[in-house]
Amino acid sequence: MQIRCLLALPLLAFAGAAIAQTSDTATGDVTVGGNVARLCVLGQPSPPTIDVGQMAETSGTRVGRIRTIGAQVVILPASFCNFAGSAVSVTATALVVNDNLAVQPGFARAVNYSASASNWAGSPTDVTTAATASGATPSATSTGASQPLPKIADVRLDLINFSAPGDALLVAGSYSGLVTVTLGPDASSGDVQ
Amino acid sequence: MIKQLGYGLALCAVAAAAPVFAQSDTDAKNFAVIGNVPALCSGGILTGAGSTFDVGVLIDTATGFLRTDLAAPDKLLAGSFCSARSTIAVDATPMLAQNFTGTPPTGFSRTVNYTATASGWTATPAVFTVGAASNPASVQTRPTAFTGDVTVGVSSFTTAEGAALRMVADTSYVGTVTVTLAVAN
Repeated sequence: MQIRCLLALPLLAFAGAAIAQTSDTATGDVTVGGNVARLCVLGQPSPPTIDVGQMAETSGTRVGRIRTIGAQVVILPASFCNFAGSAVSVTATALVVNDNLAVQPGFARAVNYSASASNWAGSPTDVTTAATASGATPSATSTGASQPLPKIADVRLDLINFSAPGDALLVAGSYSGLVTVTLGPDASSGDVQ
Repeated sequence: MIKQLGYGLALCAVAAAAPVFAQSDTDAKNFAVIGNVPALCSGGILTGAGSTFDVGVLIDTATGFLRTDLAAPDKLLAGSFCSARSTIAVDATPMLAQNFTGTPPTGFSRTVNYTATASGWTATPAVFTVGAASNPASVQTRPTAFTGDVTVGVSSFTTAEGAALRMVADTSYVGTVTVTLAVAN
């Protein structure tokens, strides 16, 4: 139906001109204006979920404590802002065990980490969660430097330095956290992100 | 024909408007970070002068009966933990004469019973009495994850067949105490 519509419009225009044009030639200028809205679009995170798997040592001197968890990388491909003055902000929430039991002395029910969003501005956006052993205050937010030009790029997010509060023993269970990446105008662009 | 055209124009307007409403100057994406920790128990390290309760000479050398004051220092399972709800179980086998393995003569015994106790893990210690018909208190449950020391003790030594029997002479009477920490379902 859209194609039919586009074809019909020029036909009507020709018909109108034919009726109005009766004699001599006249010339006029018509200003053609338009605008482009400010847009920022983030690509779909790949992978969409990070599963670090089993997080505790099961043998050796550190049995029950957090094992070494390697860096995790998420790519948000072909992200762009079509205006100058944008920035990436990152909100990271620590992994917290999915139960409501009170934490026991010597144990932790949260795993902290650092998140770093790079390849946008001159310096990355870094944030580190600081949940307590009980899982309180799991969230942290940081806004990075301004990108002074319109840009399209793959935003890269690195999750590193997984650690348990106080290096305590980890309570058994399923843990989950959340990372939110926001791409929008920087603080000086007038919009509150 | 005019109606058809009008219909088509309306569709065009809708198609053009949709992207404008869907996007803005800010975009956000979420992704989850997940992991898991298995239920684990570790028995810790046994401390307290080796791994043997040594109660010394078993009998009163004046009478040949089992001494009534037998005792041994407690052992400590240091640094034990379970990362989930758990049970502690204590089990024990009688002290048996290791060299005199036959049936003892009338009036004698080669078996010493005792009570083993594991405390510090649960509010009620786990207790196992060797030779008892049943030991309902030998398994105790702790509803929460826990880390701490387990104190293991032995006490209440008795001659298995009764206090009227004397112990056969032997250089070694040996029994075993087993403490088990396990994840409870």
